[in-house]
Amino acid sequence: MAETLRRVLNWGSAAGPGEENTFEAESPLLLLGGPGSGKTALLFAAALETAGEGRGPVLFLTRRPLQSLPRVTGAALEPLRLQKIRFQYPPSTRELLRLLCSAHETRGPAPSLLLLDGLEEYLAEDPGSQEAAYLAALLLDTAAHFSHRVGSGRGCGLIVALQTQEEGDSGTALQLALLQRYFPAQCWLQPDAPGPGQHCLRACLEPGGLGPRAEWQVTFRQNGEMTVTPWPTQAGDTSLNKGSSSGGQP
Amino acid sequence: MAVAARALTLPAVVEELLSEMAEAARDGAPIPDEHLLSLKFVFGSSAVQALDLVDRQSITLLSSPSGRRVYQVLGSSGRTYVCLASCHYCSCPAFAFSVLRKSDSLLCKHLLAVYLSQVMRTCQQLSVSDKQLTDVLLMEKTQEAS
Repeated sequence: MAETLRRVLNWGSAAGPGEENTFEAESPLLLLGGPGSGKTALLFAAALETAGEGRGPVLFLTRRPLQSLPRVTGAALEPLRLQKIRFQYPPSTRELLRLLCSAHETRGPAPSLLLLDGLEEYLAEDPGSQEAAYLAALLLDTAAHFSHRVGSGRGCGLIVALQTQEEGDSGTALQLALLQRYFPAQCWLQPDAPGPGQHCLRACLEPGGLGPRAEWQVTFRQNGEMTVTPWPTQAGDTSLNKGSSSGGQP
Repeated sequence: MAVAARALTLPAVVEELLSEMAEAARDGAPIPDEHLLSLKFVFGSSAVQALDLVDRQSITLLSSPSGRRVYQVLGSSGRTYVCLASCHYCSCPAFAFSVLRKSDSLLCKHLLAVYLSQVMRTCQQLSVSDKQLTDVLLMEKTQEAS
């Protein structure tokens, strides 16, 4: 799923997504960041991006309705795209599991992208490692079933957003290590020095496997508008590895 | 995408061993001893237990009209465990403890039995309704909670 996010993050840059149109199977992606780091806005941008591809609908799972639609530059907020995004609001872990377990009973075209925002809220209800593993495995299994229904082509992608806690909490570190088994691709959002009247973040995408790592600067203006630019310097920056080391990668 | 999950969690050497076994067993021939020895070397006592589960035909592949599938393995204790077909997950306590928590095993005997039964094509097949498949996946959850 790294490719969808890469396209989302590449909106701001002049280089189009052109050369990376390899429609091959993609790993499920975990989107990680602290509170207010723009995870929901990025998920929504990924939903809009996929909704514009002329494939199946996008299934967006979140505990509660979005307060406002994130303002995303570059993504056309066309009504046709918005109509393809189906929001569902499972109020509890039990309801989320029920939705995933019965996903094959729903009729109609299979989704081309499955999104879940706020995984931490569902995990907090049932913090055991086996429960977390089952939820992660079921998300993968549901996306795999949608892919099966889509048939040939790219299948159904999966992006899950998880709010990371303060460092040093061993319980969540264990949970994160477990989730990383199921989500080989990760994108970290970390706070960066803010400019006047805006909120800046560094987005670091690790697509898993042998794929190239990439970084962007994500800026939210006071009116909520999001802009993305490629991270200026890629070489010789010592803080580059911060994301992966604090994540306790296996 | 998600289909690749098994490859991401199983080391290449295991994948290779399984595909060699599949090749050897393709014409219904017994698995060569050298493969069984390698299996024992990699998985220890789980290998014997998993082969025992395969011999007793304890593995059932449930499939519903929707195309969704899930494995059920009847454990030696008489309890049934669910193994997902698309990624690396078994509902047994050993998977939760040794594989997920401690990371000192690659697999539990049930998952290994599923992979071996795929290789040897000795898996029982059972068609169920979409609703029944939902219940199998959900019941797994309620059992854990109780």
